[in-house]
Amino acid sequence: MIHRALIKKAILEGRVKLLEHESINLLESYGIPVAKAELASEVNEAVALAKKIGYPVVLKIVSPDISHKSDVGGVRVGIDSDDGVRSAFNEIISNVSERAPGSRIAGVLVQKMAPSGGIEVIIGGLRDRAFGPVIMFGLGGVFVEVLRDVSFRISPLLEEEAYEMLRELKGARVLNGYRGMPPVDKSSLVRIILKVAKILDENPEIDSLDLNPVMSYTSGALVVDARVILRSMG
Amino acid sequence: MNLRELEALFNPSSVAIIGATPIEGKIGRVLVENFTRRYRGKTYLVNPKYSEILGLKCYRSVKELPEPPQLAVIAIPAPSVPQVLMECSEIGVKAAIIISGGFSETGTDEGIRLEREVREVVERYGIRVIGPNCLGIFDNYSGVDTFFLPEERMKRPPKGGISFISQSGAFASALLDYMAYNNLGIARAISYGNKVDIDDVDLIKFLKDDPVTKVIVLYIEGFKESRGRAFIEVAREVIKKKPIIVYKAGKTPRGGRAVISHTAALAGDYNIYSAAFRQVGIIEAETFDEITDFAKILLTQPLMKGNRVFIVTDAGGIGVMLTDALVKEGFEVPLTPEDLKGELRKVLPRHCIPDNPIDLTGDADDERYREVLEIIAFKPYVDALVIGALPHIPGMTMKLADYISSVMERAQKPVAIINIGSEVALKFKAEFERKGMPVYESPERAARALRALYVYSMYLKKYEVV
Repeated sequence: MIHRALIKKAILEGRVKLLEHESINLLESYGIPVAKAELASEVNEAVALAKKIGYPVVLKIVSPDISHKSDVGGVRVGIDSDDGVRSAFNEIISNVSERAPGSRIAGVLVQKMAPSGGIEVIIGGLRDRAFGPVIMFGLGGVFVEVLRDVSFRISPLLEEEAYEMLRELKGARVLNGYRGMPPVDKSSLVRIILKVAKILDENPEIDSLDLNPVMSYTSGALVVDARVILRSMG
Repeated sequence: MNLRELEALFNPSSVAIIGATPIEGKIGRVLVENFTRRYRGKTYLVNPKYSEILGLKCYRSVKELPEPPQLAVIAIPAPSVPQVLMECSEIGVKAAIIISGGFSETGTDEGIRLEREVREVVERYGIRVIGPNCLGIFDNYSGVDTFFLPEERMKRPPKGGISFISQSGAFASALLDYMAYNNLGIARAISYGNKVDIDDVDLIKFLKDDPVTKVIVLYIEGFKESRGRAFIEVAREVIKKKPIIVYKAGKTPRGGRAVISHTAALAGDYNIYSAAFRQVGIIEAETFDEITDFAKILLTQPLMKGNRVFIVTDAGGIGVMLTDALVKEGFEVPLTPEDLKGELRKVLPRHCIPDNPIDLTGDADDERYREVLEIIAFKPYVDALVIGALPHIPGMTMKLADYISSVMERAQKPVAIINIGSEVALKFKAEFERKGMPVYESPERAARALRALYVYSMYLKKYEVV
C-alpha cells in the first residue's frame, strides 16, 4: 500500500498536493501506465537514472512551491545524452533559484520521453459535494482549453459508461482516426478512466486529480503528467 | 425507509389541520376548504382560538383529539412548530407536512435554530416530515391537498399518470395550474421546501412502487451533501419501471469550487448534474416547454425499437420542416422503399407524394390517412410515425383521431401529432389527446419529444430491462 503511505506523509507535512513523483507512484500502484520516472537529488544521480530509464528523457523540477514548472524554466525536454542531462539539470536549478527564489526543491524528475505520434487526452477526477467522485474525460490541447469539450460520469461507473464518455465528445472523431491516422486504443483509455474512479473511491483524502496529458496511441496509452490534490483539512 | 409511513402522507385515513381558521385569505382557511372539498377521510381541525370553523368542530390542541390522526398538516407560526410537532409525535402521529415558513430559508439565527429543533424531533420520534416552508402535497386520488392556493386562482388538474416533485413551491403551483389548463393529468404533486426529512430520494423511491404514477417529473435546484449520489443510485432502479424527467434550475456557472485542478475548473455544478442524469437514463428537460412535451409522449406512447421515423402529412411544408427537425435530433428519415411506394400508389391519387415525408396533400380526408397508415404502420422498418394533421383542409374530421389511435395501438409503435392553429386546431388537439396521442404545435418540439422517448427506450434496451 505504497500510495496510502504517500498520502499520509503529504498530510503530515501539511501539503495539499502530492509531489510529481508521488503522484506517479500513486498511479503506478493502481496499474495505470505512466511514462517511467524517478527523482534525482543531484546531477550525477540524474545521469545514472537517465541511463537506467533510457534516452530520450525529460527533466522537471519537483517543488511543493512551484505548480507551473515551465513558467520558471523548470522543464527541459528531448534530452538524449549524459552531457545533455548534466547541462539541463544545472540550467533548471539555476532558472528556478533565479525565477522562484526561496522555493523548496525536492529534486529533479528524470522521466522517459513519451513516444511521438499519440493524441493528447486529459483524464481527471474530483469529489463533488452532492455526487461524490466524478470522472472527467476530454481531448487535450485546444479541445479542452478553448472548447471545453469534456464529458463527465459519476462513480461508480460501468465500463460501457466509460466508453460513452469517449463517444459523446464533440471531437470524438479525433479518437477514431483522422488525417489518415489509425484510431486510438480506446480500451486502454477506458481502463485508466475506471482506475481513476477506483482511486477516488478508495482514497477519501484525495479531492481531485488531473492526468494531463495522457498520450493515447494506436496501442496503449501513457500518462505523462499527473497532479493529485488532497482535501485541505483546515 | 418505511413505505407505509410515506403512504400516510399521501393516503391517510385521518388528517389534522393545525392552524385551521375561518378567516378568509388565510392559509389555514384554504386548507380547511381543500380538505372539505375532496378528501374522504376524517378531518380534524385544531386551533385554540375556535370551537367551530365553517360548521366543523375545532379542537384546542392535538392532545384533545379523539384519535391520533395519521397525518398532521401544520400551518402555524414557526416558533410554535417544534413544540406542536413533538406533541403530534407523542400522541402517535406518523407523518406531518409543515407548511409554515420562517426557518433556515430566512438565513436568520432564529430560523436556523427552529429548523434544527424540528430535525431533532424527527430524529427522536421518527415522525416523517415534508417541509417546512413548502406547499406540501396535492394528491389527486386521495384528495389530500395542502396547496394553500385557492381553487379559483390555481386550478387543479384532472387525474392522470404524471407525478411531480418540486423544490420550488411557486413553480409547483404554476405548473399544476398550467397542466390543468392544458388538460394534463396529475397523480401526485409534492413541494418539499427545506427538506428537513423527506427529499427527492425518498420521494422517487416511493413513486417507483406507486401504481398510479406512470411518469415522474422533478424540478431540482440542488441536492444536499451526498444526496446527489443517493438520488442517482435510486433513480437507476426507478428508471427500469418508469421514466424520470428532470428540469434542473441554476444552470449557469457560479464560483465557490476551488479551481486548483484543471478538472475542477472545467466541471461546474450543472455539467455534473447533467452528466449524472444522462448516466442513469434520466431525461433532462432543458426548457420549460419540454417538461410537459416530454411527459406527454412518455406517458402515452410505447417504446421505440429503432430510430427510423416516417412522416405522413397533409401539408408539404410541415413535412420538410419535420424532416429537418428529426434529422437534427439524430433520427433517420428513410426514403420510402420501392415496394412500399408501389403499395401506396395503389391507394393514393396520382398527385400525392409517396416519398417520406408522405404528402397526402390538401385534398386529403380521413380515409386517405387511414388507408396509408394501415399500410405503413406495420412495416418492420418503421419505428415511429409523426403525423402532420393540419386541420385547415375541409376533408378532415374528428374521426381521424380514432383512425390513428386504432392503427397505432395495433401496430404498437409510437406516434406524435403536429397540429398548428386556432380554435379548430385546438378542438382537434383535444380530440387527439383524449385518444391518448401527444400533440405538438411545432415540428421542433415534436422532434425533441420523440428524441426523449428514443433516449429512454435505448437506455432500457442497453441495460436489457426490456
